[in-house]
Amino acid sequence: MAPPRCLCRAPLPALALALLGLASAAGPRQTPALELAQELAEELWSAGLPGDLPELEPECRSLLAAFAEGSAALTGCLGRRARPVRLCQGCHGPYRRLLAQYGSIARAVGNSSESHNCAKSILTSDRLQIVVTLSEFFNETWEAANCANCLKNNSEGLSNSTEEFLDLFNKSLTCFEHNLQGQGIDLSPNNYTEVCKNCNETYTKLNDLYNHLQRLNRQGGESAHSAHLCIDVEDAMNITRKLWSRTFNCSLPCSDTVPVIAVSSFILFLPIVFYLSSFLHSKQKKRILILPKRIQSNANLVNIQEKYS
Amino acid sequence: QFTPSSFLRIGQLSNVDLNEDTHELETEVPRQRPNEIPHNEKLLSLKYESLDYDNSENQLFLEEERRINHAAFRTVEIKRWVICAMIGILTGLVACFIDIVVENLAGLKYRVVKDNIDKFTAKGGLSFSLLLWATLNASVVMVGSLIVAFIEPVAAGSGIPQIKCYLNGVKIPHVVRLKTLVIKVCGVILSVVGGLAVGKEGPMIHSGSVIAAGISQGRSTSLKRDFKIFEYFRRDTEKRDFVSAGAAAGVSAAFGAPVGGVLFSLEEGASFWNQFLTWRIFFASMISTFTLNSVLSVYHGNAWDLSSPGLINFGRFDSEKMGYTIQEIPIFIFMGVVGGILGALFNALNYWLTMFRIRYIHRPCLQVVEAMLVAAVTATVGFVMIYCSRDCQPIQGSSVAYPLQLFCADGEYNSMATAFFNTPEKSVVNLFHDPPGSYNPMTLGMFTLMYFFLACWTYGLTVSAGVFIPSLLIGAAWGRLFGISLSYLTKGSIWADPGKYALMGAAAQLGGIVRMTLSLTVIMMEATGNVTYGFPIMLVLMTAKIVGDYFVEGLYDMHIQLQSVPFLHWEAPVTSHSLTAREVMSTPVTCLRRIERVGTVVDILSDTSSNHNGFPVVESNPDTTQAGWVAGLRGLILRSQLIVLLKHKVFVERANLSLVQRRLKLKDFRDAYPRFPPIQSIHVSQDERECMIDLSEFMNPSPYTVPQEASLPRVFKLFRALGLRHLVVVDNRNEVVGMVTRKDLARYRLGKEGLEELSLAQT
Repeated sequence: MAPPRCLCRAPLPALALALLGLASAAGPRQTPALELAQELAEELWSAGLPGDLPELEPECRSLLAAFAEGSAALTGCLGRRARPVRLCQGCHGPYRRLLAQYGSIARAVGNSSESHNCAKSILTSDRLQIVVTLSEFFNETWEAANCANCLKNNSEGLSNSTEEFLDLFNKSLTCFEHNLQGQGIDLSPNNYTEVCKNCNETYTKLNDLYNHLQRLNRQGGESAHSAHLCIDVEDAMNITRKLWSRTFNCSLPCSDTVPVIAVSSFILFLPIVFYLSSFLHSKQKKRILILPKRIQSNANLVNIQEKYS
Repeated sequence: QFTPSSFLRIGQLSNVDLNEDTHELETEVPRQRPNEIPHNEKLLSLKYESLDYDNSENQLFLEEERRINHAAFRTVEIKRWVICAMIGILTGLVACFIDIVVENLAGLKYRVVKDNIDKFTAKGGLSFSLLLWATLNASVVMVGSLIVAFIEPVAAGSGIPQIKCYLNGVKIPHVVRLKTLVIKVCGVILSVVGGLAVGKEGPMIHSGSVIAAGISQGRSTSLKRDFKIFEYFRRDTEKRDFVSAGAAAGVSAAFGAPVGGVLFSLEEGASFWNQFLTWRIFFASMISTFTLNSVLSVYHGNAWDLSSPGLINFGRFDSEKMGYTIQEIPIFIFMGVVGGILGALFNALNYWLTMFRIRYIHRPCLQVVEAMLVAAVTATVGFVMIYCSRDCQPIQGSSVAYPLQLFCADGEYNSMATAFFNTPEKSVVNLFHDPPGSYNPMTLGMFTLMYFFLACWTYGLTVSAGVFIPSLLIGAAWGRLFGISLSYLTKGSIWADPGKYALMGAAAQLGGIVRMTLSLTVIMMEATGNVTYGFPIMLVLMTAKIVGDYFVEGLYDMHIQLQSVPFLHWEAPVTSHSLTAREVMSTPVTCLRRIERVGTVVDILSDTSSNHNGFPVVESNPDTTQAGWVAGLRGLILRSQLIVLLKHKVFVERANLSLVQRRLKLKDFRDAYPRFPPIQSIHVSQDERECMIDLSEFMNPSPYTVPQEASLPRVFKLFRALGLRHLVVVDNRNEVVGMVTRKDLARYRLGKEGLEELSLAQT
């Protein structure tokens, strides 16, 4: 029994190596996915797997290869656009394609006979279920980023409000840049008055639009998760706000400490007056004691007690 | 020579002793002036009567019981279950109503103030925002306080002390009326919306009890509506059982803790308990929390989700993240000690304040002004704290309901505002669940300090409000602070999650203030939904109670005492064995003859100096051993029964005159329950005064009696266990010697220097 087991185990690393090599060498002759699938099949056959084991149908194999391709593309896209965050703007295409590919794997039940269905053989026939895991990961990331919020309903491209917001965002960044250019970069941090004055209008507009979007979102949203705007918009706003209030120090609210102290000390003073006056002027409540009718008041019974004792 | 003062073996108050000295003269010389003293804790008020838990087994009762067959008893049993279900449903609905109204009104208020602050932060003039906030709070609280002070003062406070007294057997006037319920519910809403440091959970217990008392009677005397149902339950014994179910349903709706509710009833009121009653009470609790849950889930838009079982929801405590290890248990116990000390401090401060309030702020208008001032100061303190705080945290989604930016950078909010600028329930949940780093220690420290004094000041105002949530909030704040400093000390060990310590701190603080044990453990456990927390919470509560009891007693017991309620504890004071029934009882006793003249009865009942409620019925027989007559005890009749008899003119002469005389039934007594008319409203003509009245059919022929030599603990046990109202003391010839009532027993208390005696007072 031992030799066959060894035989089975040996080809697998080789297979993986071959796969890697082939993937990099894939030429433009055919669609790469199909070619890959073919190569894979050949590899499997040549590795000496018994032919009567229907490991994977050719069409399933091509579906799998397409999924692998798609997920690689999406991963690359996400990674490249991680900072500053441009996920939703840049990666909605790859994401949609991946969804479609996964969908076709999951749906490929009807078109083949019952013994070979791709959904079963790709998605659920091993412990790891890597395809499911990958697709779950992408879905969760997409959900967490809340990208659906700034895409159109059919998720083809950005929604109008998002476009408007990004326009305004770009405009304010340009404004910041433009106004800073006149001064040296090595200026002391508290000397940004020029920027504050000139860009105030754009910034306020941007801020208002953001708040407006947020309010709309909160009204429309039904659960706690949809309370966020999409990550691109949030991040853009964060950057601008940080620049505006931390770096440029533009939002300086007027603090009117003196009137606040005056009013609050007046209010805090009132209870003292109240308690003092009620202590001095209010008549203290007296209780009238009631004499209990006890045995001491009854001479006869005391006598009885005496007699007994 | 035997003197009265040496006869009295226990220490008494000096003014009582003074009275004893002048006692001999009293029969001849009328008293010049009533003896007046300032209010203190060592008094028993005459205002409070006992409830008649003991059935009067007179002939009418026995006849009726004989007439009811087995099937009819089954119907009664089914009716009990129906009533319990209705209690649960209605309590749940009332809780929903309170929750929804508070949420909307408070939301409106905070939005208005927030918009105002945002506006004035940019332009300047924040003092106007402060004024707006303070005025809004004060005016809302003014309305809440007005209705309580002028319409129904018994609705003030959390209501737990009152329900505790009711279940103990004391009849607090007006405590279970419909009017009280309405005022209580409105008052709670207004005081929570008014931003006071209060919660809406404690009053739910009172509300549940009123609902129970109302439904079980099948009528409302306030509305003058009688639905002619549930007439069998119109007596104190049955009502008490339903009230304990109502209290349990209230706890269950407040905290989403059905088992905790049952145990609360058990802990606070159960001297009378059996399995069937427990099962019924549990049923009512479950129905209550389920009703609240389903209605609120529909209201929040996710029907059948059932995610809000109580008014306060502690949120999910995941076992993985918030788990505890065995090494942390000593730390929890230490927190229990801190909670006990802080709780004792809270109670001591509140004691002085309450005493001052009883003595000086007793006029309703002053009480309203005081409540308004507290509301304004609460807002001011909150505003100043927020204003001075420089602790800014980035906004993350909508985790903060009303983020106040104030002087923070754009996109950040003031973290002091999450604690002050919010309803207390939400602040508690935030303290439990906000991720580590959401609060800096300075903020938490200041918040704890301020809120401690505010909550202490607020409890005892003439508004309906509970103390559970403020205590939880104080505890959660210092608990979180403790957790943060712990993780700082241990260089950021992973097990020091501040939320967990916030929970333990909250338990410790609440335990230190109210000193409940079993029920509070289960309530906290159910509210967190995590059974593994049971053990540390129990340890924390235990420690807090032991430490706190060393200093002062619990808040509720303290308030019961300050109200001069004759409250009977579980057992007689431990050093009271030397006292016998002879010294405890009141004597001489006003007795009635079996066939009494109407004029005598009316005179006795109208006598204002003796407002007795039970009269032994005696019959004179010639004594066989000695010459003379012996007035042997034949039964006991209550004032309420006599009044019904007089009202229906059940006189011997009239029975002979009219042939169509209707026999008085038990129903006539039930219809008058629970508000029997005063004797002044019953007209008895001069002729009728000469008639005779036969009491033998209506009196209870088998009253409980004790001999004069019975010790106080023995009398106490009999009285407490059977829920008696009158206990007749007889001598060996069955002659009435004295009468023991609740006030005779409740006046002995274990004080700091051994046994002390309270004096009776008119309040």
